[in-house]
Amino acid sequence: MSILDTGAPGAAAVAEDSVARPRRTVDRLLAGNAWIVFAFLYLPILVLVVYSFNDNNRVGIWTEASLRWYGEMFGNARVMDALRTSILVAVLSTAVSTVLGTAAALSLERFRYKGQRAFDGLLYLPVIIPDITMAVMLLLFFVQAFDIILVLTGVGLSRGLGTITLAHIAFNISFVALVVRARLSGLDSSLEEAAADLYATRWQAFRRVTLPLIAPGVAGGALLALTLSLDDVVIAEFVSGAGSTTLPVYVFGALRRGVTPLINAVSVLMLAGSILLVLASLAISRRRSGEA
Amino acid sequence: MSEITTQAAVSPQVTSPADTGSAVTLQGVSKRFPGVKGADPVVAVDHLDLDIADGEFFSLLGPSGCGKTTTLRMIAGFEYPSAGSIQIFGDEVGLEPPNKRPVNTVFQSYALFPHMTIEQNIAFGLEMQDLPRAEIKQRTGEVIELVQMQGREQRKPKQLSGGQQQRVALARALVNHPKVLLLDEPLGALDLKLRQAMQDELKRIQEQVGITFVYVTHDQEEALTMSDRIAVMHDGVLLQVGSPEQIYDAPRTRFVADFIGDTNLAEATVVDADHVRLADGTAIRVSSDRAPDSPITVALRPETLGLRQHDAERDQRLDAVQGVVARVTFLGNANRYEVAAADGALVFDVRQGNAPGVEHFAVGDQVRVRWSPSSATVLED
Repeated sequence: MSILDTGAPGAAAVAEDSVARPRRTVDRLLAGNAWIVFAFLYLPILVLVVYSFNDNNRVGIWTEASLRWYGEMFGNARVMDALRTSILVAVLSTAVSTVLGTAAALSLERFRYKGQRAFDGLLYLPVIIPDITMAVMLLLFFVQAFDIILVLTGVGLSRGLGTITLAHIAFNISFVALVVRARLSGLDSSLEEAAADLYATRWQAFRRVTLPLIAPGVAGGALLALTLSLDDVVIAEFVSGAGSTTLPVYVFGALRRGVTPLINAVSVLMLAGSILLVLASLAISRRRSGEA
Repeated sequence: MSEITTQAAVSPQVTSPADTGSAVTLQGVSKRFPGVKGADPVVAVDHLDLDIADGEFFSLLGPSGCGKTTTLRMIAGFEYPSAGSIQIFGDEVGLEPPNKRPVNTVFQSYALFPHMTIEQNIAFGLEMQDLPRAEIKQRTGEVIELVQMQGREQRKPKQLSGGQQQRVALARALVNHPKVLLLDEPLGALDLKLRQAMQDELKRIQEQVGITFVYVTHDQEEALTMSDRIAVMHDGVLLQVGSPEQIYDAPRTRFVADFIGDTNLAEATVVDADHVRLADGTAIRVSSDRAPDSPITVALRPETLGLRQHDAERDQRLDAVQGVVARVTFLGNANRYEVAAADGALVFDVRQGNAPGVEHFAVGDQVRVRWSPSSATVLED
């Protein structure tokens, strides 16, 4: 009774509608916890953003607000090169892995064939093995493969943009397949039968019925692939060659030479990109739930 | 598995004279599904022969797992037969993909495309056949009228009730003017009232368009009320084909007698060609071709039986058994009596209408259960 007693007039009415009301102490604790978690996550980001507008050569000392480091960033050829490489790798690997990952998901959900179970298990390996293992593995693979190609054809290949893209495709296929498959398993397979029954060829049924219905999953998978590719340091660091550096790899390297506010500005740029991607995926999932 | 027969491929010029007037012909059709993890293959349909006439409302009836849906899916092309031949108006289609067959399906789950409007759903089949836009528009409008869905063309399937979705599914199939319409338990998801309304509606539409309907159901009442002919299936085997009256009045096997409606099954032994003896020693009139003394089963429908007081006048035209009322259940328009005879070796389920003047009995009453010899049926098993 004491927690219900608000001292307000009409106590009976309060008591009646208070059945669904949470207890106040618990309520406050939970709310407080939410704020602590929130602060823990976002205060460092706030510090990063604020100091990126700092007009000083040192990161930790505030002098005055300016866009100096953003100017330097856009004027810095190496940063811009790295940014271009990152975007190129991300777009290429996302495009290829979205197609291949969707195809893999379709083959696992809609067909039965020999070796399917093994394929099913192996497909998700890149999701669970550590990045560093994947990186070493891919590096060894490229070294070996290039040796063999050199011996067989006399063509000498070197690591660079191509190897980073291939490496990103390799792990992104799994993530795309995972997301698309979740969507596909919720799809009534009689819809595809209905399309076939209504004179659609296999391709028409896919194009007109299956694809529009799994599109949110495909888009979600593609966004995940894009984010993972833009985010990756470890694998890119291993399989990149001279002259091809992605933005995260550049930042990682720059940190070893000493932290400058330029890093802050670059980080804010990457952060802004990530936020845009998150907003895009939210917009897609909202449209999906509006449809359903 | 190599016994898949493709008669059309072997002799394309075959035109069987028996084909005139038959819409769907199944000859020796079997379907085996591979067993899970090395288990024996599951036989879903076993050597099925069927001949469905043009314009007929034909029902495949049986409990779940009897192979009726697999049979329908083989006619539609979603499954391929392991053996046998499937012909639609004389053309062998057994191994053709679904989009090459002149049939359309109404799915149990309706399978309406959720991302398309009602109009787009209905027009889908016509678009896939590359028909001119004007014709698509006209034919779509016609079927929307036929199923009374005017004014809802721009809605999405989710915005419709179950009964309305059902109509759209029907329209989407009918708009293509299929030679045969396949319906897979289409009323299964509807509640009782709507179901009865849709039964009438389906029958009306079938008579209006004149297309052959092949209807799969496990609901014997639904099959009896709508069908021109019924095929009863059990464990992948076809048990009996016939009109609803034939199936109900003259079931050939124990399963058919039991599955369709309520029935009394009485064990008996053959006396001669026209008489059998029941467990209580009464000889009754029913003809059988079995040898004397062989055991047989006689089926009697509860509503063909009548009750009289045991000392009531004997009627030579009727067969009768002496018994005691063991239970009475009031059904509203009728009373249901359970009558035990021969110390419980024979139990009759009797349904007697509550018309004025009909005698009522209480538990313990001595009664005579009477029936006309023509309503007794000897079963094959």
